[in-house]
Amino acid sequence: MSDTLLTDLHVRYIQNLGKNKDDLTYHMTAHLRMNAVYWGLTALCIMKHKDALDAEETIEYVMSCWDDEAGAHESPLLPQPPSPAHKATTQLQEKGAFGAHPGHDAHILSTLSAIQVLATHEALSRMNVPRAVDFILGLQQPSGVFAGDAFGETDTRFIYCAVSALSLLSALDRLDRARTVSYLASCRNFDGGFGRVAGSESHAAQVWVCTAALAILDRLDVVDVPTLGWWLAERQLPSGGLNGRPEKLEDVCYSYWVLSSMAILNKLTWIDSSALTRFILSAQDPEGGGIADRPGDMVDVFHTVFGVAGLSLLGYPGLDDLDPVYCMPASLIERMGLKRSWKALPRREA
Amino acid sequence: MADDTTEHVLYAERPEWSDVVPIPQYENIQPLAPIFYTPEYKDATDYFRGIVKTGEKSLRVLQLTETIIRLNPAHYSAWQYRYETLIVISAPLEPELVLTNALTKASPKTYQVWHHRQLLLTALRDPMPELAFNEEVLKADAKNYHTWSHRQWVLAHFDQAELWAGELPFVERLLNEDVRNNSAWHHRFFVSFENGSKGGTGEGADEAVRRELAFVKGKIALAPNNASAWNYLRGALNHTHLPYSTQAAFVELYVVDAVDADADRVLDLENPPPSQGAQLPCLAAIEFMADVHEARGKEGISEAVKLWRSLAHTHDTIRKRYWEFRIRDAVANTSVA
Repeated sequence: MSDTLLTDLHVRYIQNLGKNKDDLTYHMTAHLRMNAVYWGLTALCIMKHKDALDAEETIEYVMSCWDDEAGAHESPLLPQPPSPAHKATTQLQEKGAFGAHPGHDAHILSTLSAIQVLATHEALSRMNVPRAVDFILGLQQPSGVFAGDAFGETDTRFIYCAVSALSLLSALDRLDRARTVSYLASCRNFDGGFGRVAGSESHAAQVWVCTAALAILDRLDVVDVPTLGWWLAERQLPSGGLNGRPEKLEDVCYSYWVLSSMAILNKLTWIDSSALTRFILSAQDPEGGGIADRPGDMVDVFHTVFGVAGLSLLGYPGLDDLDPVYCMPASLIERMGLKRSWKALPRREA
Repeated sequence: MADDTTEHVLYAERPEWSDVVPIPQYENIQPLAPIFYTPEYKDATDYFRGIVKTGEKSLRVLQLTETIIRLNPAHYSAWQYRYETLIVISAPLEPELVLTNALTKASPKTYQVWHHRQLLLTALRDPMPELAFNEEVLKADAKNYHTWSHRQWVLAHFDQAELWAGELPFVERLLNEDVRNNSAWHHRFFVSFENGSKGGTGEGADEAVRRELAFVKGKIALAPNNASAWNYLRGALNHTHLPYSTQAAFVELYVVDAVDADADRVLDLENPPPSQGAQLPCLAAIEFMADVHEARGKEGISEAVKLWRSLAHTHDTIRKRYWEFRIRDAVANTSVA
């Protein structure tokens, strides 16, 4: 049990992810690889150890996941055809995007992660921006929701990926905002929360993607702030940890989803900060580094980044500021001119 | 899952696959996490890359993609290619749905398996016994987010009265198992208030509200410390524009410190009292009464503040800052009023 953040151990944990061939959890997670690169890099940035992984190597890996044939053919799987505005009249648009791993089909989740990694390394010029923009726009459905890829699965997570990616690529003006916002509004539930699609149960992760997307689109008026703020505050359990919906277990990743949503709504003071800080710190692995979903469980890079992200928003000393709308370094987002209004807790002295 | 007595034969060793050129995964950059393949997975995905390259869509591709998704249900490309193959070769989709049942039960937290079901049902244009299957899957995990979301999709997509009609009894079954199942409460709201005019109950809006208020209050009486039920009550009142004060007589019964065992209890269905053994006072009730008092304006503020203070200092100290905000906010609003 630790009462401080074991930064050096976590940095080494992330550096070693690439070398640990015996870790069976990586056996099947190729489909998450691009996300994992983004999670690892962002955690390092928050802990002020951005250079712990070689930038050029990372960029080359990202570029090796470029799917040149993304969206190259009409898919019979998309529930509705792409809207006419994004379809060339006589020939198919040349699109491109990123898959999760070399040779994997493009997906909006991995595309956002790739763009975030390139932006963090100030290397967006390495990618073909117009083709990626066309790929993203081509995934929007008439209802306003986005599909993730040609498979046709829809989810408010994909709306966030589209809005965030377009924003980072300075192409937000190409988005049909009205349709997007109208769909997000249709996902607002009676408890103030948001779900995966219209009609789905409120869930903290979906609350974050919807709230953050609305923040980027300057449409937080869609949110019922008093009701949602209270719903988010209610996620805190006696252990100090946060859950994702009523009567579920606390999990470190909700330290990010809930906290960042509250920061965007400027209600972060409603959380008992010291109780949550203690909970996150207790989920660290004091031997090998990394953070788990809750104390005693196995660590992974997903919970590691969201644990340190939560601590950063809570003002934990020695960490860098994180932008809760983009889940990227705050200074970078500010330099890119993308900062929206949000409030984290003040950084404490060590 | 494959029968234990039949050993899996690598595709590389199957003569009927000798015409396919397998393509290995090329990895020269590993900044974060390499893939550690089992021989079976490596072999199957090598052959998958081979047939994707040639664009083959045939019966044997179904076999190959089944191998992959059994080993790794999150392999979204294999699922996608499988579905496209099914359509191209006009494979019967009902058997495919049955096959997917086993995969769904084995990996109920995988997005792809649920999306595959959605695609099949859309193509079949028939809800099949999907709701019954859905209830079976919920037996293993009554709060599985994908399962509930899929259920809502089936209801909305097919929009058949007989499907809707079974939902309220279904939710009751789930709530009898666990009255704190937030997913079930959400679903009840979806069925009662959000399916437009197509609700399967066939009653008018007023009747539906009366029924729902009675239902939720009965459940609160059973187990008052249940955030989902109170959120449901508030949601129902908000949705039908009924003031919270209409429920004050009921909620007051839950603000007390203990159930009065000696009280002469006349059965009042509109205001069911807390059951014996209920944990009191109920903090959601205190919160509710504070809102009722706040809504009265100047006359109610001191009552509301008293209740919020009790929450901040005694009953819900972890959210002290929130309760203090409510006090400041209410006081500020009444001074300017």
